Amino acid sequence: MTPVLALNTISKNYGPIQALDNVSFTVPKGCVFGILGPNGSGKTTLLGIAMDVLRASAGNLRWFDQPSSAELRKQIGTLLETPNFYHYLTAVQNLRITAEIKQRGLDDIDTVLKKVNLYERRNSKFTTYSLGMKQRLAIAAALLGNPDVLVLDEPTNGLDPVGIAEIRNLIKQLAAEGKTIIMASHLLDEVEKVCTHVAILKKGKLIAAGAVDEILVNEDVVEIGAANIQALQQAVNSMNGYSSVKQDGQVLLLSYPVGKANLEQINQHCFNQGTVLNHLHLKKKSLETKFFELTNN
Amino acid sequence: MLHLLKIEWLKVKNYRTFWVLSILFMVSIFGINYIMFNIQNTAHINAGTGPVQKPEQAAAADTLIKKVVGSPFDFPEVWQSITYVSGFLLFIPGLLIITSITNEYTYKTHRQNIIDGLSRTQFIFVKMLLTVIIALAATLFVFLTAVGFGLSGGSSFSFDKIEYVGYFFIQALSYTAFALLTGIVLKRSGVAIGLFFLYSLVLENMLSGLLNHYFNPVGSYLPLETTDRLIRFPFFRRVVEQLVKAPPPVSSFLLMSAIYLTLYFFLCKRKLETADL
Repeated sequence: MTPVLALNTISKNYGPIQALDNVSFTVPKGCVFGILGPNGSGKTTLLGIAMDVLRASAGNLRWFDQPSSAELRKQIGTLLETPNFYHYLTAVQNLRITAEIKQRGLDDIDTVLKKVNLYERRNSKFTTYSLGMKQRLAIAAALLGNPDVLVLDEPTNGLDPVGIAEIRNLIKQLAAEGKTIIMASHLLDEVEKVCTHVAILKKGKLIAAGAVDEILVNEDVVEIGAANIQALQQAVNSMNGYSSVKQDGQVLLLSYPVGKANLEQINQHCFNQGTVLNHLHLKKKSLETKFFELTNN
Repeated sequence: MLHLLKIEWLKVKNYRTFWVLSILFMVSIFGINYIMFNIQNTAHINAGTGPVQKPEQAAAADTLIKKVVGSPFDFPEVWQSITYVSGFLLFIPGLLIITSITNEYTYKTHRQNIIDGLSRTQFIFVKMLLTVIIALAATLFVFLTAVGFGLSGGSSFSFDKIEYVGYFFIQALSYTAFALLTGIVLKRSGVAIGLFFLYSLVLENMLSGLLNHYFNPVGSYLPLETTDRLIRFPFFRRVVEQLVKAPPPVSSFLLMSAIYLTLYFFLCKRKLETADL
């Protein structure tokens, strides 16, 4: 199946600052693809390049296995960075311009405005809108013409908790309809809740990309310590069941899939190997820590 | 192309500033010409009703005035007079273009338009088209004004010297295209408007005078000055002809105008097609 979007070694410099460094990944059809990263990690730059408002310094990309073009962009609903509308026009007048550019969705205007709860205010000027309403209008514009692919950059920015929940439900509903959604976010929680795939960016570098349950695995971590750390290391080597081991000062950290760590067994094993533990502690590792670990190395 | 124009129309249709400025431009065109018309009329009337008593003396004075002043608001001179006077107001169409392009930058709608599916080339093409349309509209209005003043003076209609309307179009296009470039380079409306006014109304005239003083006629070929000089000062023609050396031929200004216009459009297009937006 042709991927929706394929990025190939994209780099972008702003003078001496390297905003993106050799980023490559593909977005399969029908997924909700999260681009996750802290502020300033290059998410918006990446999407800006994908939508041709920024020029890549190196690398190339393909939409639907074709070179990027204006015609292809008409079939993609995009919200990039901030809601960009003519301040002196009303919601309906603004969406008419969007529909005219896309050459589709003119009959859709009322429907999308209802979907984002802006229908009552459809004839108010954009200037009179609150931040959340502007964001909703931008989402409405992205939905115009019922596109198969949506690119949403921080879609819940500026929304109140109810609005955030509504937009998340909307995204899930769109995904259930088989649409491909590419979403940038700095909120791990958001990505975890709605995305099927994720790419993690840090300072312009791609740290990881793939299915969410592969990248953002939840783990249990067992801390063990002994007077002789070398002997402990050897004892651990002959043990199985854990996925990775790491030394952190005077303790070893053993990672286990959730619920698979058996402290009694570990203790027994080490004792049998002639090492007596002076420290044994089970820590639940949250996704948050995982995210920090991925982005703070 | 109609599709692109329709998008532009949707942007402009409900933009009050655009229409207020347009109406202001038309009123000013009429007003400034009316003032000039009155000044020269007064000169004629004064010649007839002044301290001179005898009819033959009055007639002689009138002939003398006619010789000095000419009849700038009769056909065919009216084409040159109206287009010359109206040329001073071309900063207003320039202002229209600057607001149109800097609005896009302020609202970041230039990005959104492209994200939504315009190509970069289409985006700049329609703005260039807008400079032509606004220049055409200004020219049409000036044409009608000239016809009005010409006919109201009682002279009979003539297409003689109609080329001045063509020159006016080139002058108008030069202002709007220069404004587009200013807007695209500076992006911020305040800065763009300020510099455009400063340059077109003050700086260029100073620079031109200075250059012409030392390297005549180099100063006549500055960007806007070139097209300003397509239409020569129409009043007191005889006097002017006596006092001023023969200026460079119109064809040289036409050539320079073409070079400048090509340059403006080329730079606008390249900037939009290659820059980060």
